[in-house]
Amino acid sequence: MSATAALAREAIRGGERRTPDALRGLLVVLVVLSLAWGAVAALTAEQHASAAADVVAVSEPLSLDAEQIYQSLSAAEATAANAFLAGGLDPAAARQRYQADLSAAAMRIEAASAMVGTGAARTEADLTRLSADLPRYAGEVETARADNRLGLPLGAAYLREASELLSGQMLPAASDIYANEEAQLTSASAQATGLPLMVIAILIGLAIGYVLLRTSRWLARHTHRMLNPGLVVALAAVVVSLVWLVSAFVFGRGDLLHAQRYGSGPAQAFARADVAALQAHADESLTLIDNTGDDNYQGDFAHQQQLLGSGTGTLLSAVAVPAVAADAQAWFKAHAALRAQDNGGDHQGAVNSALSGESATRFAALSSALGSGITAHQAVFASSARSGRDAFTGLEIGMIVASLAMVASCVWGLTRRLAEYR
Amino acid sequence: MNAPRWRPHGARMAVALAVAAATAAGAVTADAVASAPSTAAASAARHTAAPSCNPKASSIRPSGAPQVTSGSYMATIKARGYLIAGVDQSTYHFGFLNPLNKQIEGFDIDMIHAIAKAIFGDPAKVQFKAISDNDRIRDVQKGSVDVVAHTMTITCARLQQVDFSSVYFDAGQRVLVQQNSTAASLASLRGRKVCATKGSDSLAVIAAAMAIPVSVQYWTDCLVRLQQDEVAAISTDDSILDGLAAQDPFTKLIGPRLTDEPYGLAISKQHPDFVAFVNAVLQQLRTDGRWTASYARWIGNPVPAPPPAQYAS
Repeated sequence: MSATAALAREAIRGGERRTPDALRGLLVVLVVLSLAWGAVAALTAEQHASAAADVVAVSEPLSLDAEQIYQSLSAAEATAANAFLAGGLDPAAARQRYQADLSAAAMRIEAASAMVGTGAARTEADLTRLSADLPRYAGEVETARADNRLGLPLGAAYLREASELLSGQMLPAASDIYANEEAQLTSASAQATGLPLMVIAILIGLAIGYVLLRTSRWLARHTHRMLNPGLVVALAAVVVSLVWLVSAFVFGRGDLLHAQRYGSGPAQAFARADVAALQAHADESLTLIDNTGDDNYQGDFAHQQQLLGSGTGTLLSAVAVPAVAADAQAWFKAHAALRAQDNGGDHQGAVNSALSGESATRFAALSSALGSGITAHQAVFASSARSGRDAFTGLEIGMIVASLAMVASCVWGLTRRLAEYR
Repeated sequence: MNAPRWRPHGARMAVALAVAAATAAGAVTADAVASAPSTAAASAARHTAAPSCNPKASSIRPSGAPQVTSGSYMATIKARGYLIAGVDQSTYHFGFLNPLNKQIEGFDIDMIHAIAKAIFGDPAKVQFKAISDNDRIRDVQKGSVDVVAHTMTITCARLQQVDFSSVYFDAGQRVLVQQNSTAASLASLRGRKVCATKGSDSLAVIAAAMAIPVSVQYWTDCLVRLQQDEVAAISTDDSILDGLAAQDPFTKLIGPRLTDEPYGLAISKQHPDFVAFVNAVLQQLRTDGRWTASYARWIGNPVPAPPPAQYAS
């Protein structure tokens, strides 16, 4: 009996000797896991938050700027050509619009230059080219205007030169920026909504939760206490932080995808259609100024019309708003009538149609429909992307605090048990 | 969007361009330009490379006063209701769009109005189509215009492709530079850029003088290049250069006439009756004082005698 009791005591004593060691080992494991959880969760939160912030603060405004540079330049060209068409006494309203378009372009170029970060060398070079070309363009348009005012045919030559500069160098630079920034936006957005790091973080979170549960049960068996408050707190912290991380990700991702799908995607489609329409509008005026019938400019008009089109795969089919497509068709019809008028010898009638008649009215309708489409979808993008970004607010700090709390409570909980063995 | 700008560098490029220009102009074989050592030789080559002819005496003799006979091409035009004329809209004093009244005006345009008056009794029954130098022969050949009045020189090569009226204006190629230029003639512009329009026969002369030809769409485009110091000079017919100089008082004409450029109205080879008709109209202009009045109005005084009408055989 005594031998059995001695053996049992020995066993307990041995167990007692082993328990503190195991507890110490467990403590180390728990601290390391908690710290790892904090590091991975915080890193994940930081990456998603910064990508989401990038979408809202850099890529979106930059691509917006690039698109508006393109738009205002195209609009300036169309307006300048239109004003020129009116002759020496260009209408005050057209002149004001031209000035407004030009200063809008200048402002956007400046804003984009201020925002463009390092590592965007190509965008920077494009912006430098635009800043250099803009005053040159404006100078040529003013020379054209001055010569036109003197009744010199040289005016038309300067306008051609200006138009060549704009469509040959400036618009390609602007569209290059736009393409670059759209790519940036897509990659920032993909980063903000990407899964891999998040999956790792979640797995670590689940693993640590599992270890904490097992530890609690082991402790309950070995120390005959139902619950260790330190481990309970740590478990609560890991559950809360895991739920927070996952829900922030789910909501943020949802918002960003929504922003893309219903915001930047359609806005981009509208913007592309708008640019093609503006280009075609400039072609219409330039054809009348050149007065050479179905020449290069008219050829380009036909090309833009084809791009806009009405069939599948065209710019207007991407816009997918029947009213806008109808506006475009109405303008194309008015333009065809204008060309027929001009080719039939009624040049002045065609000019009148382009300046204030059917073609002018129809284009204005199309242009404003496209413009308001862009504005509306950009508003959707901005609000959704912002709420997507806000979903990640405080997440990184939260993860760090949670992991430190876990470390502290594990240490607190286990050292109390360890103390019982001294 | 517009015609591509040529920015050639070096002499090899100049020769290449000369060949291209000559081929485009159809005025001369490539070999003749590439090897021509001087402007005089080039000028000679220009007239010898094509089948030999007398450009000034190659048109069809009219039979008396202009008459719209039934079944003639004039009757077709009359039935249509208006004459279609291919003209320049950017060459001051010959064919240009006046921004003040938005009408195309000039010496060439007066010739067209006279033809319209002879057909319809109304000089205004004209549809003007502004065309570039490069399109003149093509548009006449495909029949998209009835007649081209576009400072167009009668050359033997072009006579292979289209018919011309009798000579209605005598011009010659010269050089326009900025007033501070030290160049005295085309020969002193060797290796520098000199502008002319695509499809003009001036390009071959520029290339032959070992200057670098730069071709553009319209003559006013050349003046833009000159004002922006992108070219050192413009070289073409003095009639055109006068019009450019009138738009920029800080330019001057230099050197002697390098070539003889007799202007004719181009008409399709399919309508010899119309060529004879136009010649009859021109003959009226020469004798009734309208030619002189037009010259005085657009080119200025003193007014020379109109170029005499000469016809083939």
